[in-house]
Amino acid sequence: MGDATFSLRRRLWNPEARLAYVLMAPTILFLIAFMFYPIVYVFVMSLFKTNKLSQLTTFVGFKNYVTRFKDAEFWQTTVRSLYWTAIGVSVKFLMGMLIAILLNVNYRGRKLARMLFIIPWASSVPISALLWQWVYHPEFGLLNHSLKATGLVANPPIWLGAAVSAFAACVWVDIWAGIPFFALVFLAGMQAIPQELYESAHIDGAGGIRSFFSITLAGLRDLILISTLLSAIWTFNDFNVIFILTRGGPAGATNILTTSVYMSGFTFLKWDSAAVQAVVTFVILSIVSLVYARFYFKRERF
Amino acid sequence: MKWQNRSKYIAIPLTILILLFLLFPFFVMISTMLKAGEDVYATPPIWIPRHIEWSNFVTVWTQYDLASYFLASIVIAVGATALNTILCVPAAYAVARLNFVGRKFALYLLLMIEMFSPVIVIISLFKIVTRVGLYDTFASLIIMDALFTVAFNTWMMNGYFKTIPKDIEEAALIDGCTRVQTITKVMLPIAVPGLVTVMIYSFIFAWNEFLFGLSFISSKNKMPLTIALYNFVGRWMTQWQYLCMAALLAIIPVLVLFYLIEKRLVAGLAGGAVKG
Repeated sequence: MGDATFSLRRRLWNPEARLAYVLMAPTILFLIAFMFYPIVYVFVMSLFKTNKLSQLTTFVGFKNYVTRFKDAEFWQTTVRSLYWTAIGVSVKFLMGMLIAILLNVNYRGRKLARMLFIIPWASSVPISALLWQWVYHPEFGLLNHSLKATGLVANPPIWLGAAVSAFAACVWVDIWAGIPFFALVFLAGMQAIPQELYESAHIDGAGGIRSFFSITLAGLRDLILISTLLSAIWTFNDFNVIFILTRGGPAGATNILTTSVYMSGFTFLKWDSAAVQAVVTFVILSIVSLVYARFYFKRERF
Repeated sequence: MKWQNRSKYIAIPLTILILLFLLFPFFVMISTMLKAGEDVYATPPIWIPRHIEWSNFVTVWTQYDLASYFLASIVIAVGATALNTILCVPAAYAVARLNFVGRKFALYLLLMIEMFSPVIVIISLFKIVTRVGLYDTFASLIIMDALFTVAFNTWMMNGYFKTIPKDIEEAALIDGCTRVQTITKVMLPIAVPGLVTVMIYSFIFAWNEFLFGLSFISSKNKMPLTIALYNFVGRWMTQWQYLCMAALLAIIPVLVLFYLIEKRLVAGLAGGAVKG
């Protein structure tokens, strides 16, 4: 028994462990001060009534949550956050897969094509969103002009002006910036699949589509899961695109949890409501992140 | 193979078509940035300027203080990169090489924090920043930008340190190096590609950051580019030709930097399932 306590102490406090704690101390303190404490604080705030200066006035327990959960708008925003993510991730996934397949074909100029496909991801998202605002401009924007001139759409909508089209326009910009990530990940995965597999499948009489499903997709299985989870987290977290294009409007039609947290606090000064929504966002995000982390750890050895 | 040869006749046109579609906003940017005012607001809109207004390039620097915003962005991004590197390198060495209780938990936590959204804590951070007198300072943005990249970068550096064979380090220890010396003199020089990757990553993150700049900065001379360009839109009638010119100039540095690290970034994010 004495031996066990001794070895536990040795395990916690030996020269090597001490050095590790010293090396990590700055980062840990930094994270405690600016990340863990703020999470605790936002949770505490969600249990209080606040004034316009965001000071805590009276303790109300979970009453703020009850108020939020009874509010139809809160549910609309939360559900919108979820289908924003679902739509965003699926389109990014499919287009990313298509582009990866195209880039996996051997031809001259493939490297250039790859470089060009990366641009939307490499570019700064806030600045791209500003450019899209100009692209979507109803009168002088070149998108509607091009749609009309080519005869694709005779009467294009005022993109950011109506509920459905504004949502479509916003989610498209988020998708647009997120496609290259999937394309690059899938391409890297495809190039790691041995060519012989395709050759022997070909000899066995498998067609292109069969070998795509049984070799390519099977080979990409883990990558597909990891990149989809990552993309889901990023898409759910998106704030910049919506805030810059519509600030959640018109009439809340593009408001998702992230923009709603910000607007509830900084615009409408309802800090307690913002805190509740931040906690809800935190819970949803933590669940997905936990799945991601677990999966990541399963395949990496330490 | 035969089908490979044939498939390029489908792949190339399709690639060009999708590229035209995806790069549309950049074509618009290039078309607009050299237009004169009356061409920007022509009805119907036109793609090719009737005359090229080269002076737009000068105007963004002289009339719109672009240099001041660039300087602010550079100060913030360099500061955030420096702070981030100082924090993440020692921490990464610890989790990669040293044995201590809670090592696995630390790695787990890093991966979770990497996914964290600034929006969740923006309210708390706003209160902290104002209370400690950091509101409207570069320091506030430097701290926040370093904060939100430190987990990912520690994680990435940990990966690079782990690829270095232990023998090299042990040889240095036997030769009389201290642990700290093995980090600075043996490990870091080998891990330079990794170090460059994480430094560029924090630089890009800080350069593109929007939410903290929006919430913590009010003076014009401290505004980073993203916030300055955002504020530029919507006041009276936006002069889109200048905005497009400024947007191109603001994007170029991060485009170049991104190309240097994209392969390593993808490998790091996908978790060793692909090799960079």
